[in-house]
Formats: sequence, structure tokens, C-alpha cells
Amino acid sequence: MKAFTYATAHSTASARELVADNGAYLAGGNDLLNLLKEYLVSANILVNIKSLPGLDKIERGEKFWMIGSLVTVAQIEDDQDIKKVFPSLHAAASEVASQQIRNVATVGGNLAQHSRCWYFRQRDTVCLKKNGDLCYARNGENRYHSLFTGNTCISPVVSSLATTFAALDATAIVLRDGKETRLSMAELYHRAWENPLAHNSLENGDLILRVEIPTARTASAYLQISDKHAFDWALVSCAAAAEIENGKLKSPRVALGSISPVPHQVEAANSFLDGKVLDEATATQAADMILKDAKPLEHNAYKVPLAHALIRRTLLKLKGDA
Amino acid sequence: MSSWPTETKYISHSTARIDAPAKLTGKARYASDIQAEGWLYGMILRSKWPAAKILSVNLDKARQLPGIKAAVVAREGEFNVRYYGEEIAAVAGTSKQACLDALRAIDVKAEVRHEFVVNETDARKSDSPQVWDGTPNAPATPHVRENGSVDTAFPECAAVIEGFYTTPVQIHNPMETMGNTVSWTDEGVTAWASTQGIASVRDGLAGALQVDHSQVRVITEYMGGGFGAKFGAGAEGVLAAKLSKAAKAPVRLMLTRFDQALAVGNRPSSFQKIKMGALADGTLHAFEAENYGTAGIGGGADAGGGGGGADIPMPYLYKVPNTRVKQSAVAINAGSARAFRAPGNPPASFGMESAMDDLAVKLGLDPLEFRLKNDPNPIRQREYKMGAEKFGWKNKYQKPGSSPGIVKTGIGCAGAAWPAGGGSKSTQGEAQINPDGSIEIRLGVQDIGTGTRTVIAVVAAEILGLKPEQITVRVGDTNFPPGPGSGGSTTCPSVSPTVFDVCQNALQQLQAQSGLADARGENWFAACKKLGVNPLVVHGKWQEGLSSSRAAGVQFAEVEVDTETGLVTVKKILGVHDCGLIINKVTLESQINGGIIMGMGYALYEERVMDDLSGVVLNPNFETYKMPGIADVPDIEIILVNMPERGVIGIGEPATVPTAGAIANAVANAIGARVSSLPITPAKVLAALGKVPPPVNA
Amino acid sequence: MKNNEPENLGAHSRRTFFKSLGTVAATAATAQVTSVAAELEKINAEKVIGPNAVPVTLKVNGEKLQLLLEPRVTLLDALRNFSSLTGAKEGCDRATCGACTVLLGDTPIYACSKLAIEAQGVEITTVEGLAKNDQLTKVQQAFLDKDALMCGYCTPGFLMSVTALLKKNPRPNADDVKHACAGNICRCGTHPRILQAALKAAGVETASKTEVVAYV
Repeated sequence: MKAFTYATAHSTASARELVADNGAYLAGGNDLLNLLKEYLVSANILVNIKSLPGLDKIERGEKFWMIGSLVTVAQIEDDQDIKKVFPSLHAAASEVASQQIRNVATVGGNLAQHSRCWYFRQRDTVCLKKNGDLCYARNGENRYHSLFTGNTCISPVVSSLATTFAALDATAIVLRDGKETRLSMAELYHRAWENPLAHNSLENGDLILRVEIPTARTASAYLQISDKHAFDWALVSCAAAAEIENGKLKSPRVALGSISPVPHQVEAANSFLDGKVLDEATATQAADMILKDAKPLEHNAYKVPLAHALIRRTLLKLKGDA
Repeated sequence: MSSWPTETKYISHSTARIDAPAKLTGKARYASDIQAEGWLYGMILRSKWPAAKILSVNLDKARQLPGIKAAVVAREGEFNVRYYGEEIAAVAGTSKQACLDALRAIDVKAEVRHEFVVNETDARKSDSPQVWDGTPNAPATPHVRENGSVDTAFPECAAVIEGFYTTPVQIHNPMETMGNTVSWTDEGVTAWASTQGIASVRDGLAGALQVDHSQVRVITEYMGGGFGAKFGAGAEGVLAAKLSKAAKAPVRLMLTRFDQALAVGNRPSSFQKIKMGALADGTLHAFEAENYGTAGIGGGADAGGGGGGADIPMPYLYKVPNTRVKQSAVAINAGSARAFRAPGNPPASFGMESAMDDLAVKLGLDPLEFRLKNDPNPIRQREYKMGAEKFGWKNKYQKPGSSPGIVKTGIGCAGAAWPAGGGSKSTQGEAQINPDGSIEIRLGVQDIGTGTRTVIAVVAAEILGLKPEQITVRVGDTNFPPGPGSGGSTTCPSVSPTVFDVCQNALQQLQAQSGLADARGENWFAACKKLGVNPLVVHGKWQEGLSSSRAAGVQFAEVEVDTETGLVTVKKILGVHDCGLIINKVTLESQINGGIIMGMGYALYEERVMDDLSGVVLNPNFETYKMPGIADVPDIEIILVNMPERGVIGIGEPATVPTAGAIANAVANAIGARVSSLPITPAKVLAALGKVPPPVNA
Repeated sequence: MKNNEPENLGAHSRRTFFKSLGTVAATAATAQVTSVAAELEKINAEKVIGPNAVPVTLKVNGEKLQLLLEPRVTLLDALRNFSSLTGAKEGCDRATCGACTVLLGDTPIYACSKLAIEAQGVEITTVEGLAKNDQLTKVQQAFLDKDALMCGYCTPGFLMSVTALLKKNPRPNADDVKHACAGNICRCGTHPRILQAALKAAGVETASKTEVVAYV
């Protein structure tokens, strides 16, 4: 890593001032330190935000829960109430990386993490995201890449918490220029859909404060498949959430991760599922709709049947099991 | 001639690893832990181009940075680099941070070559860029071996299969990277090396630095794994020495994990086109194969320690009367291959055993029966039968793809043969026996994690009638009598007969000096007391008749394959292995576990991925170069076939050979379709099941 | 220095104003305006340090290490290269292998991904801090008994992960052990025996799966 200065912020205003134009917020540090070690990002100051007051709480409410951005993924995994109220969130959190990483990784950091595309992460390839003029993955090694994208970069969002929050219709509250801004998951990643240089919609100095999760969708589920059985990025992840009323889905949402720069949702599929009884046939139709416009590349076409299977299974899991 | 005792207290039983406490408490110091007085941190600058002519390397700015005490170039003058990651220069400084800054201050002027190739199939084309100027990447005519008459034999076959079985380049990735702490003073060179061959490091350093062997001492008390790559001084060892001389301080230069994937060896890939036929009675009749693979810019001399070539033994275990085998290696702009745990054998076993199952299926035969019909080795025959019974093969075997449900189960098996063993005849050892009865055995071998120290203690305890904990074992120093390099599965058969001899000599001399007829066991202390003041130092060397070579081995695998997601889960592996006389059962079992798990990684997860356009390695890390974790490891059961009459043989390599073939066959059996390319990923399983849509043209 | 009441300035300028006072906390503390002291304390807490080396105090295995480290030095680097505690190993330096696992309090983390300056004020335990007076812990003894190590390079990391698990959950099942150790890599293949050792340390004995037969 290049040398940097370091300071601990005790207020969001100080944090913003300290980070200025060339600094970086330091929470858990897993992603930031790796990026610095590879010289993929440069920061002349690291601003420790772990002492910012009030951001490390899980607040239980009747209509909404608030999860502070400094809450660690391990805390989410261990929280028995989250397991009951938001089972998909528990499931996603427990599969994030490894215990050692979960112990320090924060919700905010997980949402803000940079692309895992191996061309981006490769210190010597100057790809689109690094201001180069080529997406190496498009005609290269693209087995882990997107089936959907709005621009020439095919790096997908990999935050499994983002996928899960998307299905739960959660909102990220982001402090931007001193004002709280509400961003849905779609909005949080929209810039990455449009702009190859972007990893998400956060601007310099933005600070995720908390995530607000409505409690209405009492049934939720999350599944992912990786090459390995643990400590491996998902090839595809799927989260679903809905209310179940008289055996029928109400306000269902299905989101996929690792196949698009944004958590992938198809409104038409959500609408189709609304009011339906959940069974194999409905789930299959929904999966077809969600994947209809997939544009598989030479090495990632397997993600289509894989995603299809995950969608069906995740939806059927909403019916409730052990 | 010597022979092993038949009634044993320790040999063939289990003695706990004697260096476990040191490793468990953090007391064990590896090459990467050495903190010699005034030590400096060393780091290497590597080429970021896959092909370039380096015109100049300016170290001036780097040398002036705070904390930097020395900087050297990898080669003088202009030189060519031929792969991403080849060494360019090195620095030594008072901290890692100083070195990181210094590397970025080195000014390299290069003529970048845009002509390079990192893909084996492309490299074989006549219009491919050449890795070595003026030399085709692959020979115009492959190396051909024939016997019988393959062309007339195929029409005689009742069934013929054709397949294209491929294996990727595999990276050793020991947990401790390559490297050394080296001190080069006027007195000579001391290197604490992470190596499998202290003598090879001494030899390499002496040659490169042009000092006498007698001035080079290499020490390896503990090292964090090698798997075949850690022989010789390496570019990194020589650079560390040169930095040390320039800085007048010891330099600890360890490779980074990034470096490991680029420049210090790998297992060559294989692309095996196999056509095989059998007669109606199930006898193999014709075998035709063409294989090419890459050893990077070249195996051979560059590979260090041998075994770097891409040739593999075909048709592996089986004697087929009519064969034609063509092999060629293809050069690409990537790091050279080096010996990697059973060089050539895992790919050969995978290809051949996959073809065997494919042909068995075509013939409508049980693959195990097909092997019993054709495997010429009586030991393997026996192992298959023993294993099949324990595994429940007959009950579990179903026709391919006939397992019901979405998650399908399947079983498979495969065999191994490992030619080496035998023991290094030049191994020597010594023992110092003190008047108080304490004994220290010294041998210039290294314990690479296999349990060599414990083997020495066990043999000594057995022969001397003592307990293993009474034996102090010291290894890993070129000042000790010469030991074998830890490779080829030859360490145990080299060391055991030597310790046997040392101890026999010790008893003889102790008995002569003390007047006691038998100095063993309960007489030991009395005999030693008679030594008076001076210790007894005895020497010994490797003896004939206590070891031999050739190990077989078979493995069975049971897998579950989710046919909707493609995920393969290995449920169980049974290994049936022989290695002659078992010296220490518990460490032997660990070796077999380790070989199986490494073979499983080869089957399902591991692959070095390079980018055709930029020529870089895309996964020089543990994130996307995937190796089995604890959640992936199946139930492993072992049958050890104890063959004391054959003496000591080795096990390290046979244990990893058949695993991938067994798993691949189990997957094919489960889903009724063949994935013929390793690693068997969900993507490939789904493709084999016909579930993957074609790509959309952008 | 302007003689303005700090309360009248915006937050941005407030901070800059107090920065300009320097760290004269002692003098201010004795002053009547205690809010100034509080503010100064806050400013000191937000002091920018580095990039050159700064004093760092690490409490490791019950002892204090007083070091001078640049902010960019990781805890792993501090242990291995600025002290003699080489027990935690460097396998990747990228939070992927677990060889550097240490405990911060009771929490296992990757030392390679924690800045040393952020590891202050908490009890750090490394593998060297497990055994007391050469007496192996239950976990270490179980590893020895089950031969759950080979080259030993990954072993310190696994020991810390298993030790942390058993502190948190004294009665883990096999899945719990696998979940706790998923972030540790071993290349020699000790996983089956690590699983057995962890269960043994938790009081669950597992049978050997090896049969020795004669060649007949």
C-alpha cells in the first residue's frame, strides 16, 4: 500500500471533511485494504468511521427495522430475531465470505464494495472501470460475469446483502452533502448499470448511514450456488420476499445477484406472482420472465439454468420450511 | 543382509508427530519467520508484460528511498522476458513498506512485444506468435510410440470410444510461499530455506554465487509445504543472497501469493484425444492417443528438479496390444512447469480412467469389472476387490444417470501406479549418544510436513529398544550427513534404512565399548554410562534390502450431483493404498488424506486462468484459484495394505494420482453424461446435461 | 487568533478553529470554559496521524508491545516483522487464507486486514498466547492427538479459529466446525483431522476410518 494518513472521525461532518477529495472511509477494511494493496484505488487519508455514533444499532420496529451501516455481518448472522423476522437476511449474512471477514465486515462496506471482476482486480490490466478503453471480459474470460447490463462493462454486483435487501424492498439511507438521501437498491446501483466506471451510485464523500427494511414481507428466502461449498463468491444468488395471505403471494419480490451490475429484478415477474398460489408451475413461469432478456456470453451461459433453478427453489422456500 | 524386525512396538503402529508441539505453539520457525540479526526485508519486481525486451533497469531512485539498503537487477544488461511475472529486479530494506515504495521507484525501459500467446491450442497453430524466436512453439512432428498395429486393430473391436479429456495447469500453492532468509558475508552463505532439498539449494547458490560448496550452509528446520516445486535456489534465493552481500545484512525474501502463480512452477496441462477399443469379451485391444500440454516457456532445465515436461504415461496402467501414442509439448508465454506431486500421473490417470469408464459403459459392463478384466497389476487387482467390498460397490452401482431425482448419486473408481520409491542410496546419518543415555540423530533431510522427523524417531526407537520420545531428531542442515531431497516419494525409503544402519552401528559400538552383549532397551542407560565422559558418535548409511519401489493404489468416490445447479458434492472417498512396510501409521494416513484432498481440488476447483489478450494470469490468488476447504472435504476412509516383506516404499504421490479420475467417473455415473474437462464445475456439468443455452452474439 | 465565540460558527469552521488552537488541552482544561476542553478532546480524538511512523501500543498475549509503525502497517506485519511473534503466518496477505488468524478479544479476524493502529486498546491473542507454562490447551492437545497438522503453516490460524469457536459454542457439531473454519485454507489436507480434533476438544470422540490389512 502507498503511505497514508489516518484519523478517526467522531461526527459525520468531520468524516466528510477529513475524507475530502482523496480520502477513503475505513470501516471493516476488507475491501479497502485489498484495493489499496493492489494499488487499484488511491487514498491519501483513511478516515476511521467506526466511532461515528449511532450507526452500529439494530433497531426493531413494527413497520420497519433499521440496521446501522456499522453493524457487522456477523452481528446480523448471530441475531436470532433477524433470523425469525428476515430469514433471507440471516441466510445471506451467514454465507458472506468467512467468519473472520464477517466479524469485521459492515453492512455499509458490503453494499459499497467494489467490483470483483478479475480484470478489474488484476493490477496490470487497464479495463473500462480503470479508465481504459476495453472490457477484457466481453470477449475474454467471462464465466463470472453479467447476463444483463446497460453498458459495455459486464461486471456484476456481488453483494448478497444487496440482493436480499432488494427483495425485501429495503432502502439505504445515505448521507450526501450533509443531507440524508433515500436510495432503493435499484437506485443504489443504478449508476453501475449506466456507467462502466461506477461500482454503484455512491458519490465521493457519500456515507451509508443505515438500511431501512419494511417488515411487511414476512416470508423471505435466500439461496446461492458457488463452485465450492463455502467461502466462495456466488455464481448466482437469489433472494425472494413476500407476504403470504390465504396461501397466495402478496407484494412478492424476487432479486438475483451476480448476474447484473444491479440486483436484477423484473417488475413484470413480481406483478405476475402477486396474488398467485406458489407452486412449481408459477415459480417456473416467474423464472422464465426474470431471465427472458438474458444475454449470455461465451462462458457464462450456464448462469441461465442455474439462476432458473435458484429462482424456483427460493420462491418455493417462501412456503416455509425448517 | 539387513531386514526389518517382524515383531514391532513402534514400526507400523502410530506415534504422534514429534514436532507437533513446536508447530502448535508457534515456536517452530520457518524460513519466513527467521529474524537474523539486522535482517532486512526483500522483495522482487516482476515483469508486467508477457513478452518484452528489457532495455534498462534504473535502480537509482529506489536506492535513495528511506530504509532501502540494496537493490540489484535480476540479469545484467539487456534481456528478454517471456512471461508475465518474470523477475526483473529486487530490493532489500528495513521494512515491507520501504520495499513496496522502492519497487514502484524502479524505472524499467522496455520494448514491449505485442506478439505473445498464452493459450495452448492457439500456440500450436503455425501462424502463432513464437515464444522463443525462431523456434516453433510445438514440434512439427510429435514424439510417437507405437506397438502392434493400431489401424488394423480398431476394426476388430466390438466397441470403440473417442474422447477429448483435458486438464488445466495446476499451481502448487503451498501455504508458505517460496523464499529464503539469506546471509552472505565474507565467511560464507547461510540460507534458511523453505525447501524440499537443502542440498539442491546449496548447490544452486554455490553455482550462481560462485562460492565453494563448503562455504554454503542451508538450514530448513520447518517449511510450509512444497509439493515438488521447492528445489534449487530459485531466482529468489540468488537475489536474496546478492541483496545480502550488497546490504551487508541478512535478507528475508519470500514470494507473495501473487508471485506463486506466475513464476515458480506448475503442473503442465493436458489435452488428450483418446480413441480406445475393446473386444467383445471386454479385453482392451486398441489405443490411439494424441496429447499435448504446456510446460510454460519450457520444462526441462528451466524447471528445476525435473519432471517439468508435458509428456504423460499413456495408456497409463493398462497393457494394450495395439497402441499409437503421439505427444508434444507446446510452449506458451507463461512460467515454466516444475515437478508437481506425481508429475504426469494425475492427468494420465484422469484421461485413461475416464476413457475406461466410457468404454465400459459402451460395452454395457460394470466399470469395476472392466478394470479387473484389464488391469495387469496383481496388487491393484487385490486393492480393487478389497475396496469394492468395503465401499459397497456392487450394491451402490447403478447404470449411468439412472439415480432418481434431481440430486443424483454416482460412484466411480480409478487406479494409480507410482514408479519411484526405492530410496536415495547416498543417504547418510549419524547419531550422538551421550553418557547419560540421551541420543541425538542427525540427518540432512528435511521434514516437509510428511512426518519425516517422526519416522526417524520411530525407527530409531524400534531398533534401540527405546521410546520415540527419547530420541532427539535433528534434520534440515547441510552440516549434517547428506540426506535425500524430499521428492519422488523417496524420503521414507531413503531415511528409514539409513536410520536402521545408524542404530545397528550404534548398538554394535556401544556393545563393544561397554562390554554388554545387548545394549538395547533396559540395558541402554547402563551401556551408555560406560562411555565415561565422551559421547559416542556413530555414522551410518542407506542399506540394501530394507526398501523397494513401486506403489499401486486405487480409490473409490461417491458423489452427489445437483442436476439443476450443476454443483458436485463428494460424499465419500475410499483409498486403498500400499506402500510396503508401514513405518508410522498416523502420519501415513495424513499423507493419504492430503493426497486425496489435493486430487479433489484438481478434479473440481483448480485451474490457472490466463487472459489471451493481455497475457496475464487472472487468478494469482486464493480467491479465484480455488482449493478445497473444510466444507468441501468428504468422508475419507482408508485401507492400508501393509506389505512388510517389500520394505519401505513412499506414499506421498500415489495418494493423489487416482482421485480426479475416480471423482470424474462418479460424476459421469451420476448424471449419465461425461464431463471430460477438469475442473468439473457447475458450468461444465450443466453443459454436459445440455442445459446451457448458446451465447448471444453481442 | 480571532476572538469569536466558537458557538456561532458552522460545524466546518468550528473544527478548523479548534484545530488552530493546537493540542493545548491541559491549559484549556483548567480554564473556566469546560466546553472548550471537551471540544479540544474531540479534536485530539480526530487528529490526523502519519504517514510517517507513530507510536502504537499493542497488547498481545498479556504483554505490551510498544512499536513505532506507519499507519499502513497491518497487525500481521507488526507481529511478524516488528516483533518476534511470528506464530501468525502470512499465506496470502489478502484475507483469503486464514493463516494470519488472531483473536481480538474473543473474535477471530485476519491480522493481514487489520491496521495495527486499529488493533490498539484490545487484548490480542496469537498462537503463542494459547499454551500457558508449556501446557497445551485442550484444542492444541486435540490437534496433536488427532494429527491435525502436517507442515504446520496453516495450523496457528486453525487453532485460533477453533479456539474462538469453542469459546462461543462449547458444543459445536460438525457443521458448526466447518462454518467456523471455512475461512482457513490448508494445502496439505489436514481438514478431516482438524474436524475430528475440534470435536474431540468439545468432548466428542470420532472413530478412526482406517483399516490396516495384510496383502493376501
